[in-house]
Amino acid sequence: RASSDGKPAKFQPPPKPVIIDKKKQRAERRFLSPEFIPPRGRTDPLKYYMERKDMIQRRKVFDIPEFYVGHVLAVTTADPYANNKSNRFVGICIQRGGKGLGATFVLRNVIEGQGVEICYELYSPRIHAIEVLKLEKRLDDNLMYLRDALPEYSTFDVNMKPESRLEHEEVPVNKLQVRMKPKPWSKRWERPKFNIKGIKFELPESKMQEAQKWSKPWLEFDMLREYDTSKIEEKIWREVNEELKK
Amino acid sequence: MMPIWTKSGKKHAVTLLKVQDCHVLRYVSKEESGGKTAKLLVGGKNVSPFSKPESAYQIFKEAGVPRKQKITTFNVTDDAIIKPGTPLYAAHFRPGQFVDVTAKTIGKGFQGVMKRWGFKGQPASHGQTKTHRRPGAISTNKASKVYRGKKMPGKMGNIYRTTYGLKVWRINTKHDIIYVNGCVPGHTNCLVKVKDSKLPTCKKYNTNPPFPTFFADGDEKLPEDLFDEEIFQFTDPSVTYT
Repeated sequence: RASSDGKPAKFQPPPKPVIIDKKKQRAERRFLSPEFIPPRGRTDPLKYYMERKDMIQRRKVFDIPEFYVGHVLAVTTADPYANNKSNRFVGICIQRGGKGLGATFVLRNVIEGQGVEICYELYSPRIHAIEVLKLEKRLDDNLMYLRDALPEYSTFDVNMKPESRLEHEEVPVNKLQVRMKPKPWSKRWERPKFNIKGIKFELPESKMQEAQKWSKPWLEFDMLREYDTSKIEEKIWREVNEELKK
Repeated sequence: MMPIWTKSGKKHAVTLLKVQDCHVLRYVSKEESGGKTAKLLVGGKNVSPFSKPESAYQIFKEAGVPRKQKITTFNVTDDAIIKPGTPLYAAHFRPGQFVDVTAKTIGKGFQGVMKRWGFKGQPASHGQTKTHRRPGAISTNKASKVYRGKKMPGKMGNIYRTTYGLKVWRINTKHDIIYVNGCVPGHTNCLVKVKDSKLPTCKKYNTNPPFPTFFADGDEKLPEDLFDEEIFQFTDPSVTYT
């Protein structure tokens, strides 16, 4: 090849190959289930250690998938009063509560016009399977406001097919703003105490201003409420991973 | 407190009790103590020996044991006497036994009559003048005195109380932990006295305990965890109904 002025082109070295180490990328995404993190208190850490041993033991036998609030799950439990002795419920996870072995999650769905919420215990031996049907995080940690939202936001098809799992990529965040039923609601969701970002408030400006009267701007600077869990999380993450590999 | 599941899928709440450095301190014979049975003094939890004068821990020196935070007495028959200085472990109890647990309740300080004794008080409105949580009348006209033991405001809590008939679900021999059904008096990390149950309905479950106690240097090698038969162990597959 010759350049435009007739001289031979200067030697351009080929671009250096960029090696993307996929293993490193995978390791950077860490998920520690929130019930492993011990709450702040004066209990002996030995108690949390014994509970963690039991939780890991259960996870070795029964696979509990990684899920957040906003995922759509299908849970099969053993039911002595059902026909097949088993019961399958599909719903969106609106809340994850409890620490240790008593950790729970609440699934919500609207079946034949009736809203149904079931609170399952993660480590209960009656649970046979937990499948993640739809992966998406929402803007909030607590979707209790779906009770006062229009029912279309809580209905999910009972025979939904499981979505294919993205290979170790970020869990997508659904920035859906939910429309609500007319007031009164079960809780005053517009108040800053709940800090909800996933509702499209169609209230007049005066009501929104009045709700800001209950704001507590000093709360985020309160040093006594600080609970830095990063070091505890790392220790527990290492411990859990080592035990699960055995 | 922790949840525990049985093989039928039922959930029970369980308290964890840790046996921390328990040693037998002294044997008091029946004649010496003046009671119906012989007594054994047992000490719990090790504590620094420098906060009290040397005369205070004569018992511990005789037994050859570091200073303990609490000393309790157990009434013992003559065939269950143990030599002073032997350590006591959680394996002294077995799963399936029933147990009584004694401890000092959480202190609530000076409390009024509604919280302390559960009185109903008076209505909040309808003309009540400065009277909403008061005891009201304390005696009748004919008695013309207040009886001894009348329920009145005072210091509540911080007294010894016992819960009877608690089932032992599981024992961890490595960390000396007893998993006991239900709740136990006292705050978290408080010292607690655990005895075999005195209830007559629990006598048939307390057969064949390790007698007089479980000796760690003996021939018996126990596994790390001892479970009751009905407990769902997490190594088993999930519970199904047929």
